[in-house]
Amino acid sequence: MESGSLQLNGISWSVFRLGEKAWLLQPKVSERVLEHIHSTSDLLEQSRIDGLQDIITAYDSITLIYDTQFKYDPDIISDISSSTEQHLSTEKNIFEIKVCYELGMDWSEVEVKTGLSKEEVISIHSTQNYTLAMMGFMPGFIFLDGLDRKIAVPRKETPRIKVPSGSVGIGGNQTGMYSLESPGGWQIIGRTTKSFFDVKKTPPTKLKAGDKIRFNRISKDEFDKLVVKNG
Amino acid sequence: MGKLVVIDGGLFTTVQDAGRCGFRKYGVPVSGVMDNSAFELVNRLVGNSQDTPVLEMTLKGGKYRFESDSVIALTGANMNPTINGKSVELNSSLEIKAGDILEFEYASRGCRCYLGIRGTWKIEKILGSCSTYIEGNFGGIEGRSLQKGDQLHWKEIQADFQSYTLSQKEIPYYSSKLTVEFISGPEWNWLSKKEQVEFLSTEFTISSESNRMGIRLNSDFQIEEKKREMVSSGVIPGIIQLPPNGSPIILMKDGQTIGGYPRIGKVLDIHLNRLAQVPPNGTIRFKKSD
Repeated sequence: MESGSLQLNGISWSVFRLGEKAWLLQPKVSERVLEHIHSTSDLLEQSRIDGLQDIITAYDSITLIYDTQFKYDPDIISDISSSTEQHLSTEKNIFEIKVCYELGMDWSEVEVKTGLSKEEVISIHSTQNYTLAMMGFMPGFIFLDGLDRKIAVPRKETPRIKVPSGSVGIGGNQTGMYSLESPGGWQIIGRTTKSFFDVKKTPPTKLKAGDKIRFNRISKDEFDKLVVKNG
Repeated sequence: MGKLVVIDGGLFTTVQDAGRCGFRKYGVPVSGVMDNSAFELVNRLVGNSQDTPVLEMTLKGGKYRFESDSVIALTGANMNPTINGKSVELNSSLEIKAGDILEFEYASRGCRCYLGIRGTWKIEKILGSCSTYIEGNFGGIEGRSLQKGDQLHWKEIQADFQSYTLSQKEIPYYSSKLTVEFISGPEWNWLSKKEQVEFLSTEFTISSESNRMGIRLNSDFQIEEKKREMVSSGVIPGIIQLPPNGSPIILMKDGQTIGGYPRIGKVLDIHLNRLAQVPPNGTIRFKKSD
């Protein structure tokens, strides 16, 4: 249930209560939703708000989780920012990720469902610029926005028990990467050697929501050489 | 240096602490103890700081040999603990001699038992916490549940220590029939008035497929109409998700950070502790708190 609304980063947001100490914010805009989400998440993070423990950035919402038990008061979030100026950042990091498409595991299904050849799919997939929409539901699982609809493929009917770490896949209208080995239902079209998520490092990755990602095709030989090089 | 050797890990025993905060934007769940109240009590009983890790044993604890004199305590579920075959009390500081064997059976009441050991535990922190996160294969001991042969080490605390026992009123009573209160969630009104009334009057049974990620509930509760599709959005422990099959899932400490099912409510944190102690086939009812 909507608990109210507030002005933040130049636009209006719906506020929903998510239990005793978390709130969900949804932008009341119909265009450039992701840009508003990402720039506002950045703004919130930079504001170093007292007691704000975690921010979860998703496609159309920002979840704020506090570390102390609050008495619910919508004014608390209204105080987050007095800024009325709209701030949409344009400068974003661009990461190039090398993908060996030969290591895809679902090419026959992808070819049947798109009606395109493997080569055509690779050529479309590796020429787009993507936006890192969000990370989650699993550690380092990366959802990328910007997939060409021509190569959208529904998820597998039966999810795999184990998808190797570094797998690049297509799930519906999205493309993305599995940072850690995990179960999963996306159609796997390639793999990257780049270790972009390491829980032994803080923060565990350099990537963040809002970053731009591009995939560069590499051969199986180059992939193997990189594996040896990276140990 | 204190030391414990695992002879038998038990059904599912993991190292947990207060949890991992600040990394949910990377998809890393908070993890940590399922029953925060039993966790706080056990560290208090051994005089540890509140962020000291503990062993969380689920349904059936294991068998452990101490290789040093130690002070320990047990809180939470009653797994009929024994030291060298003799019954010992829960909720009390216990003195252990090197060579003693601590053993547990199936829980006769409650679901999760906590073992606290006085000292500074030697466990590598991953992203600021010692908590085991099984699905991510990290934290605790190699990111997994305890196995035969595992060892725990801790640095002994030299200060004097006075043993004590919790008073009766400090010890929670664990019921296998529980009513939990919740605050309505963003999608509560996706349910019709009739569905809301039905949800609040249904008795749900805890499925044996429940785990640290989520408590799965069974019942004859059904959603009448097909709900609109939801865009995946943030979730936290305590969120009651309602998939189209009408079987709610209450997300727990290892629950994912983002979910695509309607969030009809959020169970109060104080009730999550009690919920963590309801064993499979126990029953719960929901009460709306606002």
